[in-house]
Amino acid sequence: MMLARVADSLYWIGRYVERAEHLCRLSDVMLTATLDRTESASQIARIALAAVGDPEDTAKARSPYDSALALVLDKEDPGSVASSLALARENARQVRDQITTETWERLNMIHFRMTDPHAAQSFAGGSQAFLHDTIADLHLFKGAADATMSHGEGWRFLLLGVYLERAQLIGALLEVCFGEKSKRVLADHAAQTSLLRMGCALEPYLRVYTADIRPDLILEFLLLDEDFPRSMRFCTARIEEHLTSISRHGESESPGPDRLAGRLRARLQYADIEEVQAGGASAFLTAILDECAAVHKAVYEAFVAYPLEQHLPA
Amino acid sequence: MAKADREDEAANAAAPALPYDEMRSIDGTVRPHYAALAARIETLSSEELSERQRTLERFFLLQGITFTVYGAESSTERIIPTDLLPRIIAAEEWKTIETGLTQRLKALNMFLADIYSGQQILMDGVVPRDLVLGAPSYQREMQNLYVPHQAYANVCGSDLIRQPDGAFAVLEDNLRVPSGVSYMLANREASKRVFPGTFRGAGVRPIDRYPDLLLTTLKSMAADWRPNPQVVVLTPGVYNSAYFEHAYLARLMGVPLVEGRDLVVHDNMVYMRTTTGLRRIDVIYRRVDDDFIDPLTFRRDSGLGSAGLFNAYRAGNVVICNAPGTGVADDKAVYAYVPEIIKYYLGEDAILPNIETFLCREPAQLSHVLANLDKFVVKAVGASGGYGMLVGPHSTKAQQDEFAAALKADPNNYIAQPTIQLSTGPCLIGNDIESRHVDLRPFILSGEKIVVTPGALTRVALRKGSLVVNSSQGGGSKDTWVLTDGKDLHP
Repeated sequence: MMLARVADSLYWIGRYVERAEHLCRLSDVMLTATLDRTESASQIARIALAAVGDPEDTAKARSPYDSALALVLDKEDPGSVASSLALARENARQVRDQITTETWERLNMIHFRMTDPHAAQSFAGGSQAFLHDTIADLHLFKGAADATMSHGEGWRFLLLGVYLERAQLIGALLEVCFGEKSKRVLADHAAQTSLLRMGCALEPYLRVYTADIRPDLILEFLLLDEDFPRSMRFCTARIEEHLTSISRHGESESPGPDRLAGRLRARLQYADIEEVQAGGASAFLTAILDECAAVHKAVYEAFVAYPLEQHLPA
Repeated sequence: MAKADREDEAANAAAPALPYDEMRSIDGTVRPHYAALAARIETLSSEELSERQRTLERFFLLQGITFTVYGAESSTERIIPTDLLPRIIAAEEWKTIETGLTQRLKALNMFLADIYSGQQILMDGVVPRDLVLGAPSYQREMQNLYVPHQAYANVCGSDLIRQPDGAFAVLEDNLRVPSGVSYMLANREASKRVFPGTFRGAGVRPIDRYPDLLLTTLKSMAADWRPNPQVVVLTPGVYNSAYFEHAYLARLMGVPLVEGRDLVVHDNMVYMRTTTGLRRIDVIYRRVDDDFIDPLTFRRDSGLGSAGLFNAYRAGNVVICNAPGTGVADDKAVYAYVPEIIKYYLGEDAILPNIETFLCREPAQLSHVLANLDKFVVKAVGASGGYGMLVGPHSTKAQQDEFAAALKADPNNYIAQPTIQLSTGPCLIGNDIESRHVDLRPFILSGEKIVVTPGALTRVALRKGSLVVNSSQGGGSKDTWVLTDGKDLHP
């Protein structure tokens, strides 16, 4: 049993933290790629920017440093890393009694790094180091949550937010590269490894497929791998696991979000990459992302914004 | 402190009374209960002391014990100024404080029970009727409402000061929603890190049972037929300056921290919205002022409480702690009558004296105050937090004229007290140790029993010479060590 408002806040902490980490990683890959003066550098920048929702803006892709700086530190942009972390911390402050001191301290530290008056300066002084440290701190936050919080309902709402956000972010990234609107195929080796890096997947991929890097294998890995924590299949399995456990606490009458999550998980668990491609990867990705959005909506209806009439004593 | 010592000082501190020095007696020798700390400080360079001060500030920053300063462009978070040198109170002195505070709260609860029922004390003319019934904090909605154990003020934080002769006196009772207890607890955690050896050696009485004693107190207010009462802390929300404290207490008690928007009142029962539907609430430790708890009964424009809450309270289905309307007993004018109130209900003399108080509503007292505005502290009855106050000796002629006009226009709204030299204690200012004025806010719980936690928030006026300790006016705080006399190792 926990307050609906608190569950909502924990869920959003998870989402914002995951979003911040993903944005840091995209910025990092984009900046690293542009160190090589190759044709693929601008393609990589375009992929990264498109994956965060910036429409194909060639001007931005030509100045990746400025785009990355804005993506990370622009407080005015509600989608930036700084804004996401500020929102995560604001939510954490509202549920300060529900998260352990250890977990709170990590998030608070990251917040101070982002709001430091010299943040822009240290980003300029070494953007990769800055992004690397921020990602490492976010890992520490997740580690502290895992190691110190009770793995009960609150923790599950936090992780539900993390995995749902992750599934949607990876899905958006794949849509950019394999969807209908993707103009060019990923022919270039640099573009292919960069895509894997954006999903933090390069090393795990090499372990499975060796250094044979091909677009269809990348798609298969990021979509359907059973064990890789950023594959969509892995994410949906966790979403289902957490939702099943959360639903067990209550006496849910209506077909809850756990049923939707189960269907989503099954779709990915029993999918086959050849079938996916035969039917068009684009259509498959769209269907998956729609179902993710449906799970989010169902979570709200079941746990947070439910109608009171159903629950009042007669 | 030995009795002879105190008399000595009273004699010495004639005429322009020097403030009482907490650490040193008048001849400059260190008082016995400060000996260990003084010896430790001697061994530390000012560099090392500053280093410890930084450790302490970092601890507060990391914990999020901060308040937000809203600037023109961006907002920054600051910690409440905190001094690392603890204030120390000897065991026997504490005994007086403890019995004095217990006596006082017992009488004040009886007073509240009386004025909200038969009003015997008003009929007997001990306290003027219009003073009580006309006070803005008097809530007639509370009339004839059953309050378990007659415990109206479940949490009380009284402000004590030490007068130049070394005796403690009560400056103010806070019976509404007193805050600061989280700083008492956080200061303690920090000072254990900063002076671990000295702390262990000194024999300091622990205060860490406060949260569970608070929970026990709150549970004792629930109806007998609710065997496992659901307690919650009600906060105005994250933008309240005491939000950290609300979350801190909820976390340490292990109870939900709710906001008005989490509550639903149906059929005179109070519920909170949980992930698994509605759950009934039995006891609300509210940190929202009286006026805001229920828009149907009190202020209509309040969004901080819950509509119908007060009716549920009247129906006996939920308990609000502290009870609404307790403010009438800490009203600055009613304060002047507390010694008589104690005498009336308990037949005892007050153990802790009041500060001499002049009520401007009495014409004779008003003219005395007006003639001596440069010597008095004048306070508006309804104001708090160090606002609406004139400190005579530190004021300009213009300020005095302004107050004189206000006093004549609305004498009922003002009281005056002689300017008291608060005692001083050592503080780290920059790299040096200097004396600053301090007060003392202990916390008293009352439910089935009255419990005084052996510790307090010591507030410090960090500006040199200043007598105002409120955090809104440049005040800070420090840890308070109440020493054990060897017999009572447990609180």
